[in-house]
Amino acid sequence: TSGPSDTPHTPCVQMRDQALRYRSIHTQLMEMVLTLQQTVEDHIMQLTTRPQQRDLALEEQWHGQAIREQEALLGRLLFQIVSFLPAGAPGDQSVQPPCTSTDSRGDVGGGQPVQANRQTGQMLYQESDFENTVISYDLSNRGIDISALYHLSFRDYDTYQGNKYHKDKNTLGYINLGTSENKLCTDLLAERLSQSDMTYVDEDLLQYTDWRGQPFLRKEVARFLTFYCKTPKPLDPENVVILNGCSAVFSALAMVLCDPGEAFLVPTPAYGGFAFSTHLYAKVKLVPVHLESQVTEANGYPFQLTVDKLEHTLLRAKIEGKKVRGLVLINPQNPLGDVYSQDSMMEYLEFAKKYNLHVIVDEMYMLSVFDEAITFHSVLSMKSLPDPNKTHVIWGASKDFCISGFRFGALYTHNREVASAMSCFGYLHSISGIAQYKLRQLLQDREWIDNIYLPSYHFRLQEAHRYVTRKLKASKVPFLNRGSGLYVWINLKQYLDPCTFEEELLLHRRFLDHKLILSPGKTFMCKEPGWFRLVFAARPHLLRNAMRRFQQVLVEQAQERTVKQLEDAMKEEVSTPQPEAPASPALRKS
Amino acid sequence: MFTLPQKEFRMTTACPGSDSIQDLPSNKGDGLERECSRKPDQKLLKFYGVGDPAAELSSSSPYLSSRGSVIKWFWDSAEEGYRTYHMDEYDEDKNPSGIINLGTSENKLCFDLLSRRLSQSDMLQVEPALLQYPDWRGHLFLREEVARFLSFYCRSPAPLKPENVVVLNGCASLFSALATVLCEAGEAFLIPAPYYGAITQHVYLYGNVRLVCVYLDSEVTGLETRPFQLTVEKLEMALQGANSEGVKVKGLILINPQNPLGDIYSPGELQEYLEFAKRHELHVMVDEVYMLSVFEESAGYRSVLSLERLPDPQRTHVMWATSKDFGMSGLRFGTLYTENRAVATAVASLCRYHGLSGLVQYQMAQLLRDHDWINQVYLPENHARLKAAHTYVSEDLRALGIPFVSRGAGFFIWVDLRKYLPEATFEEEVLLWRRFLENKVLLSFGKAFECKEPGWFRLVFSDKTHRLHLGMQRVRQVLEGQPQLADGAPPHQIQEPQGPHRQIPFSALPLKKIPCSPGGSEMHLKLWSTPSPAIKTKQ
Repeated sequence: TSGPSDTPHTPCVQMRDQALRYRSIHTQLMEMVLTLQQTVEDHIMQLTTRPQQRDLALEEQWHGQAIREQEALLGRLLFQIVSFLPAGAPGDQSVQPPCTSTDSRGDVGGGQPVQANRQTGQMLYQESDFENTVISYDLSNRGIDISALYHLSFRDYDTYQGNKYHKDKNTLGYINLGTSENKLCTDLLAERLSQSDMTYVDEDLLQYTDWRGQPFLRKEVARFLTFYCKTPKPLDPENVVILNGCSAVFSALAMVLCDPGEAFLVPTPAYGGFAFSTHLYAKVKLVPVHLESQVTEANGYPFQLTVDKLEHTLLRAKIEGKKVRGLVLINPQNPLGDVYSQDSMMEYLEFAKKYNLHVIVDEMYMLSVFDEAITFHSVLSMKSLPDPNKTHVIWGASKDFCISGFRFGALYTHNREVASAMSCFGYLHSISGIAQYKLRQLLQDREWIDNIYLPSYHFRLQEAHRYVTRKLKASKVPFLNRGSGLYVWINLKQYLDPCTFEEELLLHRRFLDHKLILSPGKTFMCKEPGWFRLVFAARPHLLRNAMRRFQQVLVEQAQERTVKQLEDAMKEEVSTPQPEAPASPALRKS
Repeated sequence: MFTLPQKEFRMTTACPGSDSIQDLPSNKGDGLERECSRKPDQKLLKFYGVGDPAAELSSSSPYLSSRGSVIKWFWDSAEEGYRTYHMDEYDEDKNPSGIINLGTSENKLCFDLLSRRLSQSDMLQVEPALLQYPDWRGHLFLREEVARFLSFYCRSPAPLKPENVVVLNGCASLFSALATVLCEAGEAFLIPAPYYGAITQHVYLYGNVRLVCVYLDSEVTGLETRPFQLTVEKLEMALQGANSEGVKVKGLILINPQNPLGDIYSPGELQEYLEFAKRHELHVMVDEVYMLSVFEESAGYRSVLSLERLPDPQRTHVMWATSKDFGMSGLRFGTLYTENRAVATAVASLCRYHGLSGLVQYQMAQLLRDHDWINQVYLPENHARLKAAHTYVSEDLRALGIPFVSRGAGFFIWVDLRKYLPEATFEEEVLLWRRFLENKVLLSFGKAFECKEPGWFRLVFSDKTHRLHLGMQRVRQVLEGQPQLADGAPPHQIQEPQGPHRQIPFSALPLKKIPCSPGGSEMHLKLWSTPSPAIKTKQ
């Protein structure tokens, strides 16, 4: 590459647009500063009273602890304020009216720092939660960053873990349709994994092994992918690297393909875990290629990915001085459920080759295509890849085999240099030999997979999908009707007033209040507020319950909206006869 | 006799066996040293392992990032060695003339006991919940069991708490995660050397954190009572040295029982080291991965968790794993115990990337819960077998008149073969190591542990009797054919490598030309290690 993309990456000052639009930032910042002030006062109090009690060792210990806590709190507050500032710097904008979904001028292709976006977004329901965001002076800055980012990204997930729905024991617990986890076939898997061939313990399984994965498992993965991806030639086990999960594969790939501050292109909405995995260790950025729901001349169907959009975003990123090293494609797509045609895929690959980009193709859901009318084409099935040395394929068993707790992810790459560098991460992302053995047994049992597992799995996916989409239609909720993945991408714009990300989060919160977890579009870097991902791969009784809660929330939301509109209308009537009365900015707006 | 081709040899010296990369990581994290050895003008600059290794690598790949190229280079050095060893691995029936591995620190003595235990019916349960996304710190049932287990076996004064436990896939990941959340890139941990060299890579790969060696030496001086003794004075000096070079040190790593020395810190010593750390506000990571592999009762091992009062409990982080004590390095189970919630939370935030399969977590909980089996079957038998193997090897060494360090813990003996080196150089050390390999026995040389005196080797004895006997026989053969220095030769008379650098294997390259005279520009170098007459190696 040459030209602007070669210049070192500079902090993107221009990319703070979206967050500015939250009116509440101003208030929150004020609240934070006030809390900070209080904390500082308490802290000084602690310090000044300390010498008087010096003689009491126990007392001092207690005191030390108290001061520690104060300091930790201080650190947290400062961190939160600081993380607000880059996003909301120009203060005057903070009182601007929030944008609507159609007003996309500000955030088109801007490539906002994903992380800042997500943080700011999630911060909105965060303020009362300081005590949970554990940050202390014992950590490095990146340690604080990691803790905070994790907390912000997985808050709902942790809440869910602590209070799960159970049909007998905890009917008031959370139902999680937010995490894309396959719970449809755990019974089949538990049964298969309990069979006697799984329990073998060999000396080799308990000892250090090849860090790329046990040779027997790499061989089996190559065979498995050869078969299910319908590759023209048998895949080579030497090109397989196995780590403990696709997040780990992604994180390691970001390390070996990019230097800190460099970036990947990713069409959005896209699985938010990428942003997390690329940022956390590797400090690699994602440049979103924003897709739009509106069907236009250039947009044949909602959220269509075209080479034009890719090219446009790439060139823009280059002008902004970003060094883009690769393109990430998810196929079948998460959260849209789209499956790319062979031709489209070829176009994307050609585009990448033209600009000398790596392509990471995540085929995590390749066996989760349940609509028989759709044929999934793995990128590995292509007769010839435009740039085989820069095409890297990820697959794991978490989704397709309902075993997210198994921690298994595989990379297939023709590029030996990439494979070698990736292998080094085996030290840090290795899988237990015992688990590797079970995986091999599972993947090699084609008879079970083809005759028992896949038919049942697809049948159950179809059923669940049919049930959920029927409910959505009944509630007049628009959605993308696709035939793959564990989720539907639904449009709840009509329930947002105004249609902003702030309102999206409020709606998300209302779902949480009803003990239902969905993923808001913001976490997928979707640029239009109001979209949610609803995961339907749950057992029927759970799904029924969840949809009941879902409808309840929508009814409440609609009612509230009506009330609000009435109130607004009344306010307007009140304010019209007295035009000289001083109006608050908020009122002036309406 | 088998001879390695030159190219392969160069690589294997860097790291024989991908297994043994855990133990022979002279292809360690700071590849910069090897690189800068090729660029003499940059030597001084890089002497302390500060700087960006990526910047040093000239032959970067068109496909990889700069850091990716460095990382690939690590792997390739290991990969070559892996092929060499595994191409010719010893097998009693199929390949009796193959290489016997006394280099990798693995316990191969108790597989029979373990396989029986792991095959019992309580291990076979498969619950759907075990197949789903877990709590990333580890399933609660396992963390509870770990807390109970450590309370009991570490003899903690008060019961340990499950919320202070984080479970990951091995101590390598734990070192990586701790380095990342405690240090900024380029900052450092202190570590007494010789040490288990793989840590260098673990803290470097993601964390970009360096290790500052506290060099110990074999000579017993002053108030010391044993060779390679760690003292607070040495810690202070190394820390000062690092500070004066502008290297920010954030913590201290202690391995207890020590690897490769087999040394054990007394409670009094531990307390002193911890007080030192507290004075300087350093975190202390205590790696106790061999805590149940103390086979001499008289050694009096005490876990840091057994201390009545920790000087700085918020900065004391304890690591343990089943890899060594339960002979399951391939199982990938490691755990952190820390009272510091912020650290636990930050490490747990990274556990998405270092998770352990739910089924394996279940099995580990079953294993750790079974105190009857551990106390009555496993530990007595394991210790008896370790002791027998240890006795065999130590008697052999005595018969050969070879000094060694060993205190009844761990799987290895730290052997002093200095008298077999014609010259006290790391080049000669590698040549001797190569002679062992040619005679089909793999050992680990001292340089891989950052030992500053050439001529020390780590010999792992925790292998099956027939393999151990054969391995020792091969060791003997090499030593008996090797000319010895006269007994009176001063062990510290160390010279620089002779001849042009390009002929020197990689692992010997870090040896640098340092004048023997004190003072001058050399002074600051000395601060990095304990005072020693002649040699300074790059760390």
